[in-house]
Amino acid sequence: MRLTRAVTALVVLSASLAASSPQKRAPDVTLQTADGQPMRLADFKGKVVLVDFWASWCVPCKTSFPALDSLYREYHARGVDVLAVNLDERRRDADAFLAERPHALTVLFDPKGASAQAFGVEGMPSSFLIDRDGVIRFTHMGYSGNIDASYRQQLTQLISEDQQR
Amino acid sequence: MTSVSLRLLVLGSAIGAAIVVGGCATVQPWQRGRLADRCMIFDADSSQVAYMAHWQEAREGAAGGYGVQSGGCGCK
Repeated sequence: MRLTRAVTALVVLSASLAASSPQKRAPDVTLQTADGQPMRLADFKGKVVLVDFWASWCVPCKTSFPALDSLYREYHARGVDVLAVNLDERRRDADAFLAERPHALTVLFDPKGASAQAFGVEGMPSSFLIDRDGVIRFTHMGYSGNIDASYRQQLTQLISEDQQR
Repeated sequence: MTSVSLRLLVLGSAIGAAIVVGGCATVQPWQRGRLADRCMIFDADSSQVAYMAHWQEAREGAAGGYGVQSGGCGCK
């Protein structure tokens, strides 16, 4: 009887713990900079980070990339970093895409897609908003112009949360 | 058909099936670069295809059921 109670209590406790922490910690992936240097996502801890997975062949990425770049220009001064992770298998495809689109955001490369696997990317493009503690707070899949308003609202929320501490 | 040739046929089919099934793979969204290539589109003229689909839908009273070529975003 005692054992049954203990097991029940354990089950209830673990269920409530699972329910109270639905947010997932961002995986510590290592990506490549344009000149081939490794860069860890953990290096950005303490900043609000928007990680976007894109590829040159992805049609909506052609619209989302410049939109994210303008978000970066707007929010960088307030402590937001935008990392555009390219998943093209051939680097020259990515370079051709980037050459046509002037940008200020940080472009990183992962031709093998290990980081996309770690994040559990289910469609292209996919973006993840990570707070200063390294927790994934919001995700978006696909892109249409009306996501911009959500991005702004969510980024503002993450920035203001950090200022309250 | 003799039992030997029947056995050979069954064995051959099994080996063939094993080879074909071995070629199946799950393509992750970020691996769809080649599938998203223009040369993977079956139809050359999208407006003509839309027109054909329209009259077929009108005639048959049903829509959809065609293959989709896209960039992996699931939105097209």
